[in-house]
Amino acid sequence: MNLSRRHFFALGAGALAAAAGGCDQEKQAGASLLRWVGKPTAPPLEGPLTAPAAVEIDETSHVLNRLTFGPRPGEYARVAALGTAAFIEEQLAPERIDDWMCDRVIRHEFDELNEPESHLFPRRGDQKDPLQQLFPALKERGARVGDLYDIPEQALLSDITRATILRAVLSKRQLYEVIAGFWSDHFNIDPSKGECRWLKPADDRDVIRAHALGNFRELVRASAISPAMLWYLDGRVNRRKSPEEKPNENYARELMELHTLGVHGGYSQQDVMEVARCLTGWTVRDKHRWQKGKVEFDPKEHDDGAKLVLGQTIPAGLGAADLDRVLEIVVRHPSTARHIATKLCRHFIDDQPPKSAINTVAGVFAQTDGEIRHTLRALFSTPEFLQTRGNKLKRPFHFVASALRVTNAKTDGAQPIANALLRMGHAPFRYPTPDGYPEAANHWTNTLLWRWNFAANLAENKLKGTEIDAAGLREKLGGDAALAATVLGRIPTAEEEQAYRGSGAGLALLLSTPAFQRC
Amino acid sequence: MSTQTFLTGNGDSRETLVVIFLRGAADGLSLVAPIEEDAYFRARPRIAIKKKEAVPLDGFFGLHPLLGELEPAWKEGDFAIVHGAGSEDQTRSHFEAQDLMEHGGLAAGGWLGRFLRARPEATSGALSCVAVGRLLPESLLGAPSATVMENLGDFSLGANSPGFARELQRLYARESDRLSVAARDTFDAIGRLDAMRSATYQPANGAVYDPKDDFAQGLQQIARLIKGRVGLEAASIDIGGWDSHFTQQTVIEPLLKRLGGGLAAFRRDLGADFQRTTVVVMTEFGRRVQENSAFGTDHGRGSVMFVLGGGVRGGRVHGPWPGLKEEHLEGPGDVPVINNYRNVLAPILRKHGATQESLASVFPGFELKPVGLYA
Repeated sequence: MNLSRRHFFALGAGALAAAAGGCDQEKQAGASLLRWVGKPTAPPLEGPLTAPAAVEIDETSHVLNRLTFGPRPGEYARVAALGTAAFIEEQLAPERIDDWMCDRVIRHEFDELNEPESHLFPRRGDQKDPLQQLFPALKERGARVGDLYDIPEQALLSDITRATILRAVLSKRQLYEVIAGFWSDHFNIDPSKGECRWLKPADDRDVIRAHALGNFRELVRASAISPAMLWYLDGRVNRRKSPEEKPNENYARELMELHTLGVHGGYSQQDVMEVARCLTGWTVRDKHRWQKGKVEFDPKEHDDGAKLVLGQTIPAGLGAADLDRVLEIVVRHPSTARHIATKLCRHFIDDQPPKSAINTVAGVFAQTDGEIRHTLRALFSTPEFLQTRGNKLKRPFHFVASALRVTNAKTDGAQPIANALLRMGHAPFRYPTPDGYPEAANHWTNTLLWRWNFAANLAENKLKGTEIDAAGLREKLGGDAALAATVLGRIPTAEEEQAYRGSGAGLALLLSTPAFQRC
Repeated sequence: MSTQTFLTGNGDSRETLVVIFLRGAADGLSLVAPIEEDAYFRARPRIAIKKKEAVPLDGFFGLHPLLGELEPAWKEGDFAIVHGAGSEDQTRSHFEAQDLMEHGGLAAGGWLGRFLRARPEATSGALSCVAVGRLLPESLLGAPSATVMENLGDFSLGANSPGFARELQRLYARESDRLSVAARDTFDAIGRLDAMRSATYQPANGAVYDPKDDFAQGLQQIARLIKGRVGLEAASIDIGGWDSHFTQQTVIEPLLKRLGGGLAAFRRDLGADFQRTTVVVMTEFGRRVQENSAFGTDHGRGSVMFVLGGGVRGGRVHGPWPGLKEEHLEGPGDVPVINNYRNVLAPILRKHGATQESLASVFPGFELKPVGLYA
């Protein structure tokens, strides 16, 4: 039987209604709903599993470190045979990669993440709901008709979190997942603000993932009128019904400060106010049950006078088209190319990105009008990218995903993994402010204890829902030395070898080494 | 970079903020009663705190007798009270009001989480923030790192092998960059915690934490972390069950005993360290002035906040008190919110290192008028 997530919640709610229980029972039923998770999954090990044989991180290991959430056993051999240039091209075209296993897991376990946002809201005002009339027994038993198909709020957050973890661990479209994570930070939305809790899944799907390797302007446009973003940065209340009403500047400021030009990108407070005027009238529908969450433009709330944005005039009377004029101005601004290039280089090359690489990348970004694929290809061809190896500290999410990948862990991606990330301060969709999780190493060095404990728990199979076969893996790879080289991406040093043997917890030790914290 | 910005364990004198949330809307008029006001006794003929039983505070208010253990803190100037405290939320819904109060406005993340992240040295240690209990409270969402713990055992190096720590320590010592410093600080802190765990804890100065009370035991764990100087900067702990619609006295009396006893033991145990600690006690809203037919009180607006700790202008009730005459009450007869909770928290956060500018991001969209809690 193919039981969907929504059916599952409905069954739980039905049982709840039948039980006609008090508060405690309700809580228990809720808790059991949240425990519905799929079977732990890992892809089979395929092809030759030859481990890296170089003393230093070679180009193959380096490219795997940066374009992926860490290599799986066998991936080094595959990329070494394919060549790094071909691997980069493969990863830049994720639509051509057959990713059936990950696709199937995500489709099967998170079907509600494919639904329109209006379907995810809980139904309030149930008494007027025609469906409520059809099921009078529900009311008698103290249940709401909405219980039959509402997705519980906590389940929704836990589902997008799990989906993100599972994709990072399972997907063969690794660069796509890495860059989606990058934009998720760049256009950060914390679902805990207001109705973002119902709207963020659609933002993740229709904004971040839809445009992650597409065109930057399209990406910004999708984000600008994403219901979650309109909620998160108050665009929905940016209106001008009367001449006295002041626009809400929140989104306009972050659009320039964070999403496009950058804080020193050369815009003024006046520009912020003018951009805010351009965007008045865009809002998120709050009523009408089945259309809740829909974005619309209300000309009556739009300030339709002429505006001056970054020295360019936007004539009066354009209405909703002001949005595209504004985006054209800010996205084409030279500061934007620089800002995006700097952030990409910081992510893929170094916390202090080299100027020469920034120049190259910004140039291609500007020439291609913000084609993300071309921009990344240019970045990956810079000598700075190819030669700056092993210098970045993995952020906790990268660390956790890479540990699960390199051990070929079977995982359901559920609570123990999310809790470990929460403890390290890097759980997906949990960063409060619009600037997104920080990139630089100094923000993350305080997480060592939790990294070591995660490594130990993983190696000792103490994470519920996640299991590894350490002995089997070692045997398949060809022994201790090969295991160490696979984890570290190079032959271990004499000290590392000694530590591996002396620790009494070899795999945990490898995953806890300074080398494995870096990429 | 100084080692203080990492997981410390280096014996620094970091200040710690302890947030105690009374869930369920605690009755401010029972915790701190206006015992010189006739209107109080008229409104609560059956459940008012008796004047002769209350602990006299400032000649007008009296502390609930079951909070009597806090009298020394009051007399010694470590304990300040803010009455008429609450939020602008008017729904009188527990959920909505707690949500607003913990988020600090219509904002993402919690106020305490944003505070910890917005400070100039936001890259502080792995043990910088703990929530005692099973869940991370909403106020701590967005903290740079936050650990939910039920006891100190949660802080230890997991692997079942002594060689693991030894070999790690050796490998990290060979590194030349910040990872090596971070690792050294981490091992220092683990060492302190291990020592703490293995020793039988003897609270100082004759303090006694009720062994059967989770709240007191939680405070004891927090006290140990503070005294162990592991770099604890914020801790949160709750006492629930204050929703006293029905036979209020039987509902809140055990809670008051736990609150007063736990706090008194905590202060006594910390001794001199209490001077680098601030404890704030808050609740989502207060209760109706008029008692109801069931010897209880219904949802109201203003309640009370406690601030205890070093440097606070204690021994006084801060903020104006309009009195309980009907014309001063709000809506169906509630103590108005005279002191928005943000105006109480803001000066505390300033004392704990928040800059004036960062307060705007901790409490967005609110014009702060801080209560004069500090000289």
